[in-house]
Parts: sequence; structure tokens; C-alpha cells
Amino acid sequence: MRIFWVLLKKELRTFFVSPMAYIVLALAMVLNGFCLRAALSVLERGPSEGSIVTWTFHAMWFWLSYFFVFPLLTMRLFAEEKKMGTLETLFTAPVRTWQVIWSKYLAAVLIYCMLWVPSGLNFLLIDWITAGQVEMPAGALKGSYLVLFVMGLFNLAIGCFASSLTSNQIIAAVIAFTASLLHFLTGMFISVIGRKVSESFVDIINYFASTEHIRTFTAGLIDTRPLVYYTSFALLLLAFTHQVVEYRRWKP
Amino acid sequence: MIAVHDLTKLYAGRMAVNHVSFQVEPGQIVGFLGPNGAGKSTTMRILAGYMPPTSGHVAVNGHDVFRESLAVRRSVGYMPETAPLYTDMRVKEYLRFRGELKGLRGRDMRRRVGEVMELCSVTDVRRRLIANLSKGYRQRVALADALLHEPPLLILDEPTSGLDPVQIRQVRELLRSLRPAHTILLSTHILQEVENLCDRVIMIHHGRVLADDTPERLTARLRTLTEVYLEVRAGTQAVADLETLAGVRKVVEEPAEGGWSRHVLRVEPGRDVREDVMMLARERGWELRELHRRLPSLEDVFIELAAAEPARTV
Repeated sequence: MRIFWVLLKKELRTFFVSPMAYIVLALAMVLNGFCLRAALSVLERGPSEGSIVTWTFHAMWFWLSYFFVFPLLTMRLFAEEKKMGTLETLFTAPVRTWQVIWSKYLAAVLIYCMLWVPSGLNFLLIDWITAGQVEMPAGALKGSYLVLFVMGLFNLAIGCFASSLTSNQIIAAVIAFTASLLHFLTGMFISVIGRKVSESFVDIINYFASTEHIRTFTAGLIDTRPLVYYTSFALLLLAFTHQVVEYRRWKP
Repeated sequence: MIAVHDLTKLYAGRMAVNHVSFQVEPGQIVGFLGPNGAGKSTTMRILAGYMPPTSGHVAVNGHDVFRESLAVRRSVGYMPETAPLYTDMRVKEYLRFRGELKGLRGRDMRRRVGEVMELCSVTDVRRRLIANLSKGYRQRVALADALLHEPPLLILDEPTSGLDPVQIRQVRELLRSLRPAHTILLSTHILQEVENLCDRVIMIHHGRVLADDTPERLTARLRTLTEVYLEVRAGTQAVADLETLAGVRKVVEEPAEGGWSRHVLRVEPGRDVREDVMMLARERGWELRELHRRLPSLEDVFIELAAAEPARTV
């Protein structure tokens, strides 16, 4: 366990000595600002059934930040070490493969969580400026951040896996981006083709649909199905990553 | 300390290591000698627990490299050929990180990091970013890392590549000073390095062991290839005359400009025929403008040994 903390500390450090963490943080902050502005303009138009929290996470800007964040945070993880050859020094020290994979993944998850801190501060700021005039349901807030967290677990695992496949960071980023986008578009399928297909098929598709998940959670409804869906897929992808990293070492 | 039995490694569809067996006793410095692509690095990576053998049995310090990989890695200090390092770290910071991975802490950590930085003369760059260090310094930081946890076995893949002559000498001195407590397996393609440093030499070519002997006996073997070069203005009898000299096996003549001719004398092991050639030239009244002996190079050894045992491709 000690080794794991040493590795985690090193991964976090690597994020913050490179400009990457700051660039991602700055971009996420700007886009969060746009999201909030979009939500305010919806509320300005008149009464609406959604709260400010709902509209913030329904803004187009939100999906923009959603897609660029994951590849940027994860493309480096394995690809860089492979290119530099440091994976060899790392794995000739007495460390276990799972310690390396989990430390890298957890570091990415922690940075990802940090990205949402400014958006939380935005809500606090609105609340303070308007002296509580804007309705901000606690359930919606909790639900929003919970679904963002599990979606993060899932997409960061995709990125982690993509990075383990190649020694080129750009390729890793493109694979991660494409996979995230494909998953998102599968969920969008219904809204594109309409409800011309059978009811059970719609249900199946909705099970993947990130947009649906966002809709329910930002309304304050905590549905356990997406939670199980995202975390179990994240674990599966990390198990794949483990196999890929092991295979590079044990291949015949 | 190392027991390799019938080791084979298929790498990228090629037989990188082909039925290799050898033993290394504790306290020895063993040189792994061979051209690039001979299978040195692959063998060393297997010994360091980085990859498993395709077949065969490899034990380091009594532990099997495949089944007890962690125990092997704890008892080995390994330095890869390209000395890969985290370039965004400072030297001391990097060594502390590596020390933590290898289980050093507290007072032990401070002591060892200080010691290895002194030993490898990187103390003066301890606060510099590794990205800004020259190849020579990086090489020595990697060496310091290998020494960090005082492993009984050091596996060093070309520890002196990229160093200048002064630094090469320092590293050799350092390795020699480690001899009683540490067993060292190092790879190189510099013959001189092996002669100066190693108790034993394992020559490897196309994944096979060509020779496994002390440097003395190996150099004795190399002397079979001694050649003497001679440039004279002499009659057509010269070749026949030279062949009568004791110890000369074969004479090859190549014409040169202006009536001069070059002769290459292949000489029996352990003989020096230069004085006899001089005497002969004086006797026959030849004009002599060049006479020198070419000592065998590593290339010659490989040409000879590789020709004796042609590589089998699988």
C-alpha cells in the first residue's frame, strides 16, 4: 500500500509540474462560466420547470468540456512512459502492476474532481449575490455532482485503457475521444431517429444515454442503474488495461 | 548468484536468445560482450525481471525470475541501456522517489541518497532538472538509482556508453570498488573495458554463447589473428622469402604504386616476427618503408567466432 501512495503522489506531481493540469483547469473554468451564463439566460426568459443547476448541465458548453477533458487528462498516463522507456525502470523496481495502474487512474480521477470545484463555487457565488433568490435544490446539486463523478470514472477508464494501447499520446487521445463520443452518440440515437423503434429497444438505448442520465440526476433523481453501469464499466476497462500492460511484458 | 539454464527468448518473431546457459558466482564481475542485437539486452531484461523467458530456467539470488519476480527485482539493481529517467524531476527528487519504491525510508533514505550521489559524482547537479542534464550525467543518475537499495546483484546494460574518457575511468573505478560486496553483470562492446574490469567474459552473438572464459584466456585466443603489415620495394622472391620465416603461416601480397608492394603476414599465436622480417630485409637489401603489427580488434574475434559457429535462424 505504501508503494501505491508513493506512485500516486508522483502521478499527481507530474500533472502539476507540467502545464497540462493548468491548461485543462483553465479551460474547464471558462466553459463552466459559459454553462452558467447559458443557464441564467434560460431563466431570464421566464419561468421554467428546471432549476439553475439543471440548465447549467444542459448547456451545449457542458458537453464541449465533457469531451475534451478526458483525453487530455489520460493520454499521457502510459503512452508517455512507454515512449520515454521509463516503464522499464518502473517495472524493474519492486512494484506490482495493479499499483501502477490504480495510481495513474486515481490521479486522473482526483484531477478530474478538482475541475468541478470552480463550478460549485459558481453556484455559491450566485446564491450569495442574489441572497438566495435563485432556487438551488440540494437534491439537484448532489445528483449532478454524483453523476458527473461516475461519468468521469467511466470516461477516464476509457482514456486510461487507450493510453495503455500505444506509445503515442496523440493516438491515445484520439482513441479516447472517439470512444467517448461513440458512447455519447449511442445514447443520442433515439433523439436522432425518433421513437420509430420498439419500446424495449428505446429502453435499452436509454440505459446507455448520458444525456438521459444527466436529465434525471440534475433533476435530483438518484437512479442506481447508471451508477452501476458506469462504475462496472470503469472496472472492466481497468481490468483490460491491466491485461494490456501485463501482455506487453509477458508476451511470447 | 545467477543461474541461467537453457534460456530461450522469442522476441518480435525472432530468436533473440537461443539456448543460453551460464552461471555467475557471487562477487564476480562478468562482462557480456557482443555486437548490437546479439541478445545482451534481452538476456539482461529477463534477469532483471522485466520480461519472462520463452523457455528455460533463470534464477537470480535463488529466486525464479518468473514466479518470484518481486523478490528478484528487490535483489537486483538494473540499469537499462538508454538510462530512461523522468525528465521532469530533479536529480535528488528522482533518487528519493526511486528509493521509496525500493522500500527505503527515513534516515536510511537520506544516507543512501547522499552516498550514491557521491559515488556517482552527481551531487553537484542534485537540484538540476534531469531534462537539462547531459547524457553523461543522466547515465550516472541511472547508475546511482541502480545502486540505491544496495542490491547484491547489479545488472548494467552498457554503463559507460555516452560517457567521456574521464567519466569512463571513474565508472570503472567505482565498479571495481563495489566488487567484494556486489556481483556485477555488465554488457559492453568495448574489448578494453572487459580486459580492465571483468573476471569473466561471456561472448554472445546471434543469441548464442560463443565463449565463456577469463579475459586472459580469451585474449590468448585472439592472438591467433595477429597480422604483420609490411611495405617493401623488393624482388619477386619476397613472398617466398617471407614464407620461410619461422612462425609465418601465410603471406598475401598486394601491389602498391611506384614499385612498392604491401605484404600481409598471418602469424602463429604468441609469436612476434617483426625483428625477423627486419633482419631478412637487411640481408636481402630490400627497401623497407613500413612495418607494423596489427593487434586483433573485437570485430576480428566476432568474425572468427561467428564464422566457426554460424547462426541458426528459427
